[in-house]
Amino acid sequence: MSADDRTLLTRAAMGDGEALEALMSRYASRIYRLAYGITRSAPDAEEVVQDVFLQIVNKGAGFEGRAALGSWIYRITTNVSLNKRRGKRRELETPLDELLPTFLPDGHRAGDRAFVVADWSSTPDRELLAGESRRLLEAAIDRLPAHYRAVLVLRDVEELSNEEVAEIVGDTVAAVKTRLHRARMALREQLTRYLRTGA
Amino acid sequence: MTCRDAIDILADYVDGAMPAELAAELERHLAGCEPCRAYLATYRKTGMLGAIAGRVDMPAEMQARLRRFLSEQLRRA
Repeated sequence: MSADDRTLLTRAAMGDGEALEALMSRYASRIYRLAYGITRSAPDAEEVVQDVFLQIVNKGAGFEGRAALGSWIYRITTNVSLNKRRGKRRELETPLDELLPTFLPDGHRAGDRAFVVADWSSTPDRELLAGESRRLLEAAIDRLPAHYRAVLVLRDVEELSNEEVAEIVGDTVAAVKTRLHRARMALREQLTRYLRTGA
Repeated sequence: MTCRDAIDILADYVDGAMPAELAAELERHLAGCEPCRAYLATYRKTGMLGAIAGRVDMPAEMQARLRRFLSEQLRRA
């Protein structure tokens, strides 16, 4: 943790509004992005941000600082978000195995030729991120189990390393890599099913 | 290398975290396998789309509410 972060934490814990404002400027957007990515609900993400800042104020001064403050904050945010998700909206989540590629006994992809060679990657981003495609992408993210979304956001949105993510989510690097790969494959599968048929 | 083997290791390939020898073997498979080339291209694109979709901003009114909430907490402390 930088001396600057440590000073801000100590001052915020003593009730210094300016220090808290500086911490907010530095971390609130990142906390919200991760919280929303995991909970997929703006009101839940807002509650998470409030909870996390309360923990920063209440526990921050005692933070040992072996890790970077950012990692500590990501860890709290992940835990609070996953706790908030528990028992909520699980009906939207789909077993991931149904969304992964299938293979023939000889190791080739299963499915008709038109599907396995479907390549929509040259479709412009602006087209894929608008209208029905965007809605489908958001729904596909919703269907991922929350702990998969946590890894997806930390790796692909926050651009942390596998090692950093493993420390934050309290799992092994191998588990993080598996979860990330399965999450990406599940999203790809759903996009391909839609973009190939338009249905 | 089968298609199953190739797809299993795509994450390391896309993330540039694969030993050169294995990357070369994967590239040899890709050169002769249209389904795996399509898979790689769409897998890569999916990662980019997910990253863009995930870059949500905290709404300004939410930031204002957070400020008020924390100010109240500090006053009470």
